[in-house]
Amino acid sequence: MSSLASAPLLETKGLGKRFGNFAANSGIDFSVRDGELRAVIGPNGAGKTTFFNILSGVALASEGDIFFQGSRITQVAGPRRVALGIAKAFQTANIYPDESVFQNCRLAALARSQGSFALEIFRGSQRLAEVDAAAEDALELVDLASLADARAGDLSHGDKKRLDIALALATKPRIVLLDEPVAGMAIEEVRKTDRLIRGLAKRMTVLIIEHDMDLVMGISDSITVLHQGKILAEGTPAEIRANARVQEAYLGGHAEGHV
Amino acid sequence: MRRGPAAARAQRNADLRFYALTLLGLVLFPIAIHPIGGYPGLATQILLVGIASIGFNILLGYAGLLSYGQAMFYGVGSYVALLCVSRFFPQHPNFWVAVVLAVAFVTVMALLIGMLVVRLYGIYFALLTLAFAQMFFFIVFKWRDMTQGDDGLQGITAPPLALGFATIDLTQAFPAVNLGPFGDLSDVHYWYVFAALVTFAVLVFTRILVRSQFGEVLAAIRENEERSTFVGFDPMRYKLAAFVIAGALCGLSGALRGLYETSTAPDALTVETSGNFVIFTIVGGVKTLLGPLIGTGFIMYLQNVISAKTDAWRLIEGVLFVAIVVFLPGGILGSFRRKAPRALLANAVRVTPPPGEPSASDAQSAPHELPR
Repeated sequence: MSSLASAPLLETKGLGKRFGNFAANSGIDFSVRDGELRAVIGPNGAGKTTFFNILSGVALASEGDIFFQGSRITQVAGPRRVALGIAKAFQTANIYPDESVFQNCRLAALARSQGSFALEIFRGSQRLAEVDAAAEDALELVDLASLADARAGDLSHGDKKRLDIALALATKPRIVLLDEPVAGMAIEEVRKTDRLIRGLAKRMTVLIIEHDMDLVMGISDSITVLHQGKILAEGTPAEIRANARVQEAYLGGHAEGHV
Repeated sequence: MRRGPAAARAQRNADLRFYALTLLGLVLFPIAIHPIGGYPGLATQILLVGIASIGFNILLGYAGLLSYGQAMFYGVGSYVALLCVSRFFPQHPNFWVAVVLAVAFVTVMALLIGMLVVRLYGIYFALLTLAFAQMFFFIVFKWRDMTQGDDGLQGITAPPLALGFATIDLTQAFPAVNLGPFGDLSDVHYWYVFAALVTFAVLVFTRILVRSQFGEVLAAIRENEERSTFVGFDPMRYKLAAFVIAGALCGLSGALRGLYETSTAPDALTVETSGNFVIFTIVGGVKTLLGPLIGTGFIMYLQNVISAKTDAWRLIEGVLFVAIVVFLPGGILGSFRRKAPRALLANAVRVTPPPGEPSASDAQSAPHELPR
């Protein structure tokens, strides 16, 4: 492993996505090392969510390539990418509202255990002990174990978002993509999620989109700034804070966040 | 929810109760129908058609796909089974060969059609299945050499049921025993017993399927397809499997009904037949095991018994359908069954928000709480 530590886990070359004449992403050369905690930031409309969607397989790229652990996955569909170890948490908590919190995680762990399809029409999934174990681990990680039997739809906003992250974790990913993990959270919940993400970064590669600059500057190993669908800058939090072009992009007519 | 040994035991008891009551119901059905103007032959027909409704419910209730073309599987199943007897193997007609070939043919058909339609949603899925059913209706109607077109296949006596140790003539009746208001036992033919056994087997199969790992994932996909995709399930393959299983059971139903009636006609493939399966299932109760069978019985009973008394039976059927959809949205069985678990979920398991936090049930969860 150690010899591979500096090799990129996830890499894109000339990645682009067009919607008609509009290029939401173009020419993105991007790479994340194994174990890194990388933030992707940029003013609204910079193409961050599109970029995440292409990486996770929600949408397919119009041009360029994606490599994961050295193999090309540009055309691999969403469910297969999860099986490879790429998991995603959604911007708006995306869970099974009518199931228990535990069952939510069990389903995600079951997907990892059985693969994208299994014609198991005569046996229940209760026999799979590893599924329960993986679900419990994921709940421990996001600190929701005490609410395991609650109906997921009844959770608070912050707990729903953490459950969504737990669903991603229950698939035992190598890399997890978090789309605005603290959006809409109260201060106390932001602190809790901040701790959660730092904990995750010790176990896996983490890629986040986030507008909360305090959080981003505090936790990231490095930051990629997107602007108008292209990479504007890349570097450590300190480098990004000092970058004149980044300040320009944020302040020049798009004063959405502040660096 | 984690399952302990107590839950497993309760589950086993519930299973036994369900199977015992279902068997009892199937035993009493052909004679219980007598005092209300039915007859054992109608009971047989209801069970044979009900097999298709039970299968259709896997698609509509558990996979959430409204097919408006089930008649193509039902109709083609009946044609293939009868053609096996009269045309393909006239020298050595065999009951099992006819049924197995019919189901196999329909299964392949459902697989090929399913691969094209399961990518579509809602109305587009319904319309495409309808269009396929119309194509098959047209083929059957026009391919006179094979199907005898408009006239259909008539007077094809089903071969006896070979069981290895014995050969049973299903048209044979039970010995005469006067049952008073319940008619006479000799009104019941062996066909009923066979239909009841197959129906029971299909119910057991469906119950196991719904509770299986496959059923669990199918329900998850129905509840949130996007999330299911991004925990790693492939929704299309699950829907395709549900489509094929529903199609195969529909083909089984058609094959047995054809052999029972000794005839079939293009009627079996009409839009009306497809619509019947939708009505049967919704009236009886979507997402309940016995609901589709009860709905099939209820409507077929009305069609047979009331149509003998009044020409306006279609009107009565329509009014009843509207009344059930409006006043019993879960169907006959679903509406008095559903309340219990829902209330349990809503009360026993609801989380009270910790003090100082916003209400637990925020605006986002509201749409999901509507009854499905």
